Amino acid sequence: MNQERLTRRDVLKLAGVGGAVAAVLSGCGPMAKYVRRRPYVEQPEYALPGKSVYFATTCRECPAGCGLVVRTVEGRAIKVEGNPNHPLNRGGTCARAQAALQGLYNPDRARGPKARGGKAITWEEGIDAVARALQDTPPEGIVFLLGLAPDHLAELVYELTQALGAPAPIRFGALAMVEARQTLAAAAEAVFGQKAVPTFDIAKAELVISFGANFLETWLSPVAYAKAYGAMRQGHPGRRGILVQVEPRMSMTGANADLWLPAKPGTEGLVALALGRLMAEAAGVEPPEAFAQVDPAQAAQTAEVPLEKLEKVARYAVQDVERVVALPGGVVLGYENGAEVAKAILALNGLLERLGKPSLIYFTPPAGGRAPLAPATYEEIQALVDRMKAGQVKALFIHGVNPVYEFPKALGIEEALLKVPLVISFASFDDETVPYAHYHLPDHTFLESWGYQRVQVGADREVLSGFQPVVVPVFDTRATADVLLAAVQKVGGALAEQVPYKNEVEFIQKQVAEFQKRNDGVYQATHPKVFWALFLQHGGWWTQEATAAPAQAQVPALQVAEASFGRGEFHLVVFPHPILADGASANNPWLQETPDPTTTVMWNTWVEMHPETAAKLGVQHDDVVQVQSPYGAISAAVYVYPGIRPDTLAIPMGQGHKALGRWAKDRGANPLELLGSGTNGAGDAAFGSVRVVVRKTGERRPLARKENTVGVYGDGRYQPVEKKPETATSKQE
Amino acid sequence: MSTAPSQLRKAVVNVVAFAVLGALVLGATWLYASQRVPPQPLEFNHYVHVQQLGLSCLYCHSNAPRGQSAGLPQVNRCIACHNQLEPKSPATRALQKYAENGETIPWVPVSIQPDFVYFSHAPHVQQGISCQVCHGEVGQQTVAQPIRQQNMGWCLSCHTNLPNLTPERLTKLQSCETCHK
Repeated sequence: MNQERLTRRDVLKLAGVGGAVAAVLSGCGPMAKYVRRRPYVEQPEYALPGKSVYFATTCRECPAGCGLVVRTVEGRAIKVEGNPNHPLNRGGTCARAQAALQGLYNPDRARGPKARGGKAITWEEGIDAVARALQDTPPEGIVFLLGLAPDHLAELVYELTQALGAPAPIRFGALAMVEARQTLAAAAEAVFGQKAVPTFDIAKAELVISFGANFLETWLSPVAYAKAYGAMRQGHPGRRGILVQVEPRMSMTGANADLWLPAKPGTEGLVALALGRLMAEAAGVEPPEAFAQVDPAQAAQTAEVPLEKLEKVARYAVQDVERVVALPGGVVLGYENGAEVAKAILALNGLLERLGKPSLIYFTPPAGGRAPLAPATYEEIQALVDRMKAGQVKALFIHGVNPVYEFPKALGIEEALLKVPLVISFASFDDETVPYAHYHLPDHTFLESWGYQRVQVGADREVLSGFQPVVVPVFDTRATADVLLAAVQKVGGALAEQVPYKNEVEFIQKQVAEFQKRNDGVYQATHPKVFWALFLQHGGWWTQEATAAPAQAQVPALQVAEASFGRGEFHLVVFPHPILADGASANNPWLQETPDPTTTVMWNTWVEMHPETAAKLGVQHDDVVQVQSPYGAISAAVYVYPGIRPDTLAIPMGQGHKALGRWAKDRGANPLELLGSGTNGAGDAAFGSVRVVVRKTGERRPLARKENTVGVYGDGRYQPVEKKPETATSKQE
Repeated sequence: MSTAPSQLRKAVVNVVAFAVLGALVLGATWLYASQRVPPQPLEFNHYVHVQQLGLSCLYCHSNAPRGQSAGLPQVNRCIACHNQLEPKSPATRALQKYAENGETIPWVPVSIQPDFVYFSHAPHVQQGISCQVCHGEVGQQTVAQPIRQQNMGWCLSCHTNLPNLTPERLTKLQSCETCHK
């Protein structure tokens, strides 16, 4: 035998041993069955081992206020579901409610009170700092900056500021900026005479004409609207509702529409006027003054929308169906004339009423007759930032909003924060604003919180949605209301007399007790403690019957022109991420892993670009481009998307965090950095008026996409670049 | 006659085989070690509590008549007595530590069935079957030990042998979906 080669004996030796190793090492791992059982330290009477205990509470991931039922086992929350009895969401939830469990048990949560620099302090020291701030700061220099949830904390803080003589709390957030709530309220005042965000009863509609309102994804109260949408489509036997969507970038709502009209950005107001005029013509009546000036053919041409389609919609609305509603939302309100555009679209409903159509718009009655504090306009926020820069704000309390991330850089919030001598943050996570705070006194997450929320939009009756903790607080956090009340007790004197509550629950119980007198609720009780127990058991209080009445619309005077824009090559649509929304829960792997409904992109930011635009620029999927506006620049990977106008780019919010936790940090880009300080005529941000230029960077960053990467639209992820024709020089190679 | 290269080759093969064998032994040891039951966080002595003090099983495992899992005592149940006793043993000292810190005790489960088995204590206890029938004389043990081979055949040895049962009930007891829902 040739000794150079491997002998049979060698092979058998190796094979035998190798096989044995493979067999053993590929066996099972450590026993998972020895998972530790940890019984309670103090077992509540109602909690039996292995048996689930369900708590009704409310979601606070967005301001809508959907009711939840959370399943817990032995003191641990394991599943979130919607509360089937809650009038707003009727058992439905969105992705963020479901993922709230990962917010509760998130390892990157703030675990206890800290002073600037990360030094751990006791709660006593934290409360002392708050007490000193309340006592020593001149009242006009105290500012409370709160989030958008219309909750008990806002009401308590309002009472506190009244007692102090300080300015009322300011509610704001990135969502408010891109939802333009104040614009809607102002337009509603002009058309309905009521300054509040209207609710559009699309469940009853046969034709819905939505201008940019992405009600199936994130707009105002998406779960309630999604349920209503289902009723519109399938809730009326023999009749299926029709949806027309007018927007420059196809949202998921647009993808569900029967007719999607990508009007040129800034012309949606003209489209509304044209539709109004065409409707009047189809009905054979004189159009009202406001609609009489527009020339539909001219408007259609300016808007780059086929006139026949507008005529078809107008005819259908007038001749073929009874119930029609038009709703404004999204980027359509974000142009520099957004206020007028909103009025024009709402006025369409006034026109429809004149043509004999029933009103499908109502206003959610405020629970207990008490409307929540309105969110601030962008103008008011800029005024606040200016006050901060001028050194007029001496103590700033921040809760439920992350200014350093959510405010566009153009406002200069960071430099403004540095001018405030005392900043106290109540954030539950170490977000971008916390390093600017002198004290970080983390609040509980909403699954550990008491409270209530007065539902503002989406419900057809008064709803006071209740919160209760479903678990004992996981970390050493405290309810912000408790911290403030403890500080007030410390200050004592007149302040403690005017704000006399010992703790948060006492305040909440007092407000809830107001409803015990009512006899139109879903439950009654004679004893206050029984009423409180029923309040917690039901997850809130609401009326037995729907009480919202249809609002009558007028047609006010309108001044709608094509919107003007700044310099730049492309229009920019900044939209709330369909899953992450404003990005407050970006440190949540479940949410990051959930694919965006239209593009299926996960874990990153993308720039939506039409295939023609991409070809012109010479970019494909996953090429990184730099998008620059007059106010900032960001880089993100391209997603070639046919559902967008070639002259428009769209970038979702939510990513681009520099803090917040390991899954959010340094991931993607924040398109809010591209926005400026302009307003839209109603004080809200003109976030749709920004134009940008795009530059190839030459990098590639493959996006994680759930869809088939070979290509849904026939192109491929790795499409070969068009070979340039041979030139004299290249031939030599 | 063996040449130098073939000697080297033989040596290499032997070294490789030896190394692989060594890896195998280490792997097997690791695997064995990982399958062993971890120690309890504190050595709870059943003999003292059951045999000497006369506590009934249900005093601590009170959920047995009511639900699937018999449950483990909340720390407050232990502390009710041990608050008044001098912590002399390592176990009682450990218990005191857990109670002072307000921590839950991470017990290692003893009587475990795989995930695909549905077992509920309630119907068994409510039929009057005493705990010792399945769990053995835990009262005689110090740290609780599981019954060996508590498998399907063992369960069926009872489920097929019960006297005075209607045919329907007997069928149900032996039917797959009763225990493998």
